[in-house]
Amino acid sequence: MNLRNWIRSTALASSMLALSSAAFADGVLRYATVGEPPSLDQQVVTSDLATTIAHHMFEGLYTFNASNSPVPLLASGDKISDDGKTITIALRKGVKFHNGQKMTSADVLASLKRWGEFGSRGSLLFSNVESVDANGDYEITIKLKTPFGPWKNLMAFINGGPAIYPASVIEGKGKEPIAPKDYIGTGPYKFNEWLPNRHVELVRFDDYSSPDGEADGYAGKRVAEFDALRFIPVSDVGTRVAGVRAGDYDYAESIPGDLFEELDKDASIATILNGGPIFGLVFMNSKDGPLKENFALRRAIQSAINKVPALQIAIGPEKLWRSNGSFLPEGNVWYTDAGIENFSKGDAEGAKTMAAAAGYKGDPIKFMVSTNYPFHYDTAIVYTKQLAQAGFNIDLQVYDWATLIEKRAQPDQWDLFFTHHGFVPDPILISVMNDNYPGWWNTPEKAALKAKFTATSDPAERKAIWSEIQALIYEQVPTMKTGDVYTYNIASSKLKGLGEATLIWPSFWNVSK
Amino acid sequence: MLAYTFKRLLALIPTLLAASVLIFLFVHLIPGDPAAILLGDTATPEEIAELTHAMGLDRSLITQYFLWLGNVLQGDFGTSIFFRIPVLSVIADGAETSILLASMTMIWIMLIGIPIGILAATRHGSWVDQIASGGAMLFASIPTFWLGLYLILIFAVGLGWFPSSGFPSISDEGGLWNIRYLLLPSLTLAAPNAALIIRLVRASMLDVQREDHVRTARAKGLHPTKVAIRHVFRNAMISVAAAFGFTFAALISEAVVTETVFSLPGIGRLVVQSILRRDYPVIQGVILVIVCLYMIINLLVDLTYARLDPRVSLK
Repeated sequence: MNLRNWIRSTALASSMLALSSAAFADGVLRYATVGEPPSLDQQVVTSDLATTIAHHMFEGLYTFNASNSPVPLLASGDKISDDGKTITIALRKGVKFHNGQKMTSADVLASLKRWGEFGSRGSLLFSNVESVDANGDYEITIKLKTPFGPWKNLMAFINGGPAIYPASVIEGKGKEPIAPKDYIGTGPYKFNEWLPNRHVELVRFDDYSSPDGEADGYAGKRVAEFDALRFIPVSDVGTRVAGVRAGDYDYAESIPGDLFEELDKDASIATILNGGPIFGLVFMNSKDGPLKENFALRRAIQSAINKVPALQIAIGPEKLWRSNGSFLPEGNVWYTDAGIENFSKGDAEGAKTMAAAAGYKGDPIKFMVSTNYPFHYDTAIVYTKQLAQAGFNIDLQVYDWATLIEKRAQPDQWDLFFTHHGFVPDPILISVMNDNYPGWWNTPEKAALKAKFTATSDPAERKAIWSEIQALIYEQVPTMKTGDVYTYNIASSKLKGLGEATLIWPSFWNVSK
Repeated sequence: MLAYTFKRLLALIPTLLAASVLIFLFVHLIPGDPAAILLGDTATPEEIAELTHAMGLDRSLITQYFLWLGNVLQGDFGTSIFFRIPVLSVIADGAETSILLASMTMIWIMLIGIPIGILAATRHGSWVDQIASGGAMLFASIPTFWLGLYLILIFAVGLGWFPSSGFPSISDEGGLWNIRYLLLPSLTLAAPNAALIIRLVRASMLDVQREDHVRTARAKGLHPTKVAIRHVFRNAMISVAAAFGFTFAALISEAVVTETVFSLPGIGRLVVQSILRRDYPVIQGVILVIVCLYMIINLLVDLTYARLDPRVSLK
């Protein structure tokens, strides 16, 4: 073969390579994830990655519109009795499960019962539920022991929420996540396969019964434009970015802040901010150690820290973070400035005086952090330095995430630990509100305010009580918020219908390429 | 040879039993709880304990070990806590990628390493040798993650000739054509390994070249190429054969960096991910399979020695 022929053959082979890559990808959205979710069972698993995939398959009775207000999804409407204790929910008719079976009140009843008993967030509502009954095939009644304001928000939050499964699948199931063969929901996409380390694939559900109305957040019309959604674990961020640039992936999540400006300028790539910010939390131990019940010492630690340098180092571009002390972001209905004057003082000298007054004698304070999340570790390094400058003897203990989870359940193993929290549409869902969450904040003041907060449905009253709770958090310091972080994803500019930001998790109904 | 092979295979049994105890202990002594990882950040200690009990992980280590061993002896490696499918099926899926990747890499290593090694040895001290040895040092020093990312940038992002990452099974759509996904990763893995083989072939051949039988062959007037291949290279291959065997095993079990950069669903990445999520049955299963692999390769290397060098007797 002479040189010219060789060049010709090589060029032809290259074109064939390129063409074949494109041909296999037709109608499939390829989403590069950071890893694999622990399970897709939405009732018991609270991983955001699990919800990113699973909310295309599973639906609840309610969902959130673009203003984060709960609106019906599988429900068609509801009534609440005058005493606020009886909720009657009408169900949409003609909704089919992926196995072809029609959804009725029996399925909703079985799903709510399993979620109430074993669901990650179910006990928040069901500890106050007297009974749940079906009235015919398309209506259920929930009787509460006392009025419970956040019921609809809890029903609408699908992450660890009441996803509706067929009764035949969910009856008798306990805390253990259901197996992939039981991933049967009502969503626009249905489960196809989960190949370990390769992908999770959902395919279009042709008998999907979409809710009516204009698309609005997660509410309104849902159209499955793709033949399949393929979620591919790509743990290396360089590979995720290169994959989108090369056209091998259409969408990639969790891109670090230091690449933001470069990617934002790239015309072939769209950067998509996650609308609901995540926020770091440093929990303090209320059960054991020097911080137990010593609120003055906790306030001293809080005063020593200036949150801004840590956000600059750990996150990067200012567009991606806010030094915001409110537990819910500015612009959100739950935003409040109660207590936030104590959010980021960075007063080392003042903290030293406060610590001495609180009886601190330089004993080691065990601070656990994981390297699995770089922003946890980077932030903890900055805080440790600031705390040392204020005279605190910080024993920084670095673990992998699995070890940290095990250790934080043992009160004698730690004094502070770092974690982060996803955006939630109702403060009742923030982990510090859960008395059993490691940290175990359960003071009488909290209990009294929490009871008032859940007992009313009046939005203005609930907001006022939440402000009091946030002020109490800054006073008793069960946890320290580290600031809002707007993570971002990237997508091929060929994708249509994505919008500039996600509501909470990315969704791919009404999206095409 | 058959009797020897049978005896060596029998000797694997006590070694594997000892390995199984060590693997089981190490895996279960790592702090961390699969139930806590499965249930996520909001799970309470009671919920975690309940799931731990449901999965049988609250039984004594001895009970768990013998249950596991009993099942393994019947060919049942258990079910992945994470994926809810049999461990053997998870391993088989990873093994397909790893075996294909290791095989392609070995082809590159042989195609690049052996001819250049021979050339460097036969032209010892010349500019050819200098370039071959210098190049080998350079490629042996390049970190695989760096080389991998640059190959992606040039050949996937820049030229668009190859996919940047991933590997669909050859039983999926695309069939054997999916092998193209492994081209860049295999080149990445081959670079440092071929460099080592170049140096090994060169050094072994230089040693053999100084021996009497080579001098005799030359004195008899044999063609230099014939001397290099038939008399020098064949004898030099004895040490190279061992290196090939263990390189192949290492490529299957230790290619985790390349598998991560190219997002390949191979065995190395499977082990690391399984450790991070404390998927005990998968970790135990994969490590046991890797131990078996090393033992079998060790046996094959010994058998190859005897084939290459009649002085080696199999007793």
